[in-house]
Amino acid sequence: MKKRIKVVLLSALLALTGVWTVPARAEAIPDERLLPRLTDEADLLTDEEEERILAQLNEISERQSCDVVVAAVDGLDGKTAMEYADDFYDYNGYGMGTERDGIILLVSMEERDWWISTCGFGITAFTDDGLDYISEKFLADLSDGKYADAFSVFAELCDDFITQAKTGEPYHEGNMPKEPFDPFLILVDLAVGLGLGYVIAFIKKGKLKSVRGKADAEDYSVPGSFVLTVNSDRFIRKFVTSRKIEVNNNSSSGGSTTHTSSSGTTHGGSGGKF
Amino acid sequence: MSEVIEYKCPACGGAMEFDSSSQKMKCPYCDTEMSIADYQMAQGGADGGDPDNGSPDWTANGSGQWEDGETEGMRIYSCQSCGGEIIADETTGASACPFCGNPVVMKGQFSGDLKPDYVIPFKLDKKAAKEAYYKHLKGKNFLPKVFKAENHIDEIKGIYVPFWIFDAEVHGDISYNAEKIRIWQDRSMEYTEHNYYEIHRSGSVSFKNVPTDCSKKMDDALMESIEPYHFSEAVPFNPAYLAGYAADRYDMKAEECIRRADNRIRSSAINAFRETVQGYQNVSESHTNIQTRNARYWYALYPVWILNTTWAGKKYIFAMNGQTGKMVGDLPLDKKQFWRFAAGWGLGISALLCIIQIIMTLV
Repeated sequence: MKKRIKVVLLSALLALTGVWTVPARAEAIPDERLLPRLTDEADLLTDEEEERILAQLNEISERQSCDVVVAAVDGLDGKTAMEYADDFYDYNGYGMGTERDGIILLVSMEERDWWISTCGFGITAFTDDGLDYISEKFLADLSDGKYADAFSVFAELCDDFITQAKTGEPYHEGNMPKEPFDPFLILVDLAVGLGLGYVIAFIKKGKLKSVRGKADAEDYSVPGSFVLTVNSDRFIRKFVTSRKIEVNNNSSSGGSTTHTSSSGTTHGGSGGKF
Repeated sequence: MSEVIEYKCPACGGAMEFDSSSQKMKCPYCDTEMSIADYQMAQGGADGGDPDNGSPDWTANGSGQWEDGETEGMRIYSCQSCGGEIIADETTGASACPFCGNPVVMKGQFSGDLKPDYVIPFKLDKKAAKEAYYKHLKGKNFLPKVFKAENHIDEIKGIYVPFWIFDAEVHGDISYNAEKIRIWQDRSMEYTEHNYYEIHRSGSVSFKNVPTDCSKKMDDALMESIEPYHFSEAVPFNPAYLAGYAADRYDMKAEECIRRADNRIRSSAINAFRETVQGYQNVSESHTNIQTRNARYWYALYPVWILNTTWAGKKYIFAMNGQTGKMVGDLPLDKKQFWRFAAGWGLGISALLCIIQIIMTLV
């Protein structure tokens, strides 16, 4: 009896501390969130980084009423990254409100997979174009092993995207976040500006020179004296080359493509290798 | 000692000059004016040169050598008014006596084989040349500010410059390779159709009165810059037109100048043929045969105002077409002003670009 209590207590303890993070095989989706918004099973972050990013995720999620989650795992247990991310999200009870609004970034170290899964309002807020944009921003850091930076960038962008989506028009192609002003541009502007300044000055300078020899005798051709006796344009041959037009697959006109996860929930998402 | 001609006023005996505004002989002392024909009538045609000036097809036989026993490159004349010695270049055909200032025309410089067929008389006077010069300085960026004030006009001279003028009929036979490109698309493919053509043009074009200056003293580019001259206003040569101006006779034979005229004529002919090849994206000449036929040439004097100036120890030369008033002359560049302008505008444009970009990130 004592032993049994001990086992139950231990399991409860493990579950609470979050060490036992294997998704619960329960068929039902829990009502409450079972895990913190940052789980670092793969141990990619230092304690200090973990604390900072968790605080950032919590702050954003609560302010926006939309879960922003990051999970780093060692492997995918034979699932695809998409399946794992969807299940991890569903069975750990992530998502706020009845629609379970949220977004999760899953990073698996085994095959260096990453996947972003969206749910509820997250599907609206993060269009396919938007996910491409976000992944482009954090993938470099992720590949370089700067995990804290990558997660932080991800969180910031999620915040921005959710805010934008609440205006009724989520970011999509042709309507992406404005790039912040890059100080490097000053150098480019300076080079372009000075180049143009020189060209203008050079053109204005041209008036100083007026002595130029004449290469033709146009002024002295007798009007009407030009007569053509032979005037033939003979077609010789032709050939046609062809080229396949690159079709832009992302012609989803700014929407989000979705699929259904094992729990029956609808998710949006995007992913790849890093 | 060679002779000089002075055009004595029938009324007061002063030396008459050709007046560009009235196109008549005018006495600066008593204001007597008479047309050149009237003057010569009054003088009994004594100074009129050869009466048979009706042969337009002037041919050079290359025997225009001068008499022996002359000082190298120099000639000495004696002024008919004051008897002073006028020393001039061997090509000088008209000048002024350095002692009494009377205009003189050197006899012999423009007679026989050296006689020009035509002359375009001066239409614009010294005042017009001066005005044109000041106008020429206006609106020039980066011209040193002090240039206008300090540039000293050493000399303004109306010169009849000798020109060979060429007439030619050009026959051209040119082939081109040309390509027409058509591009169209369907749902998944883009097609580019290259059509090749062989183009043949044959024909002729005529040029009349293409001038080349034939005085070694005159810079070719300077003389070409004040073109064109309108030959319709040319008149048969009469030395009376030279009175009051400087004039040079040619020192380059037509054979030496024909190449320049021919190159210009050829290039214009090639352009004319090329302009008939239209509607192609790529055109290249594959075969060109240009022949100049019925080429003829004349000898003429054209009016040029020359201004010699000095600024900061450097000489600047300006030329004005004495017929049309076209003024040319290279001007110095104020480098400081130039770079200040380039930097100012450069920084301004840079700042504007920066501001635009910053606004774009905020909106």
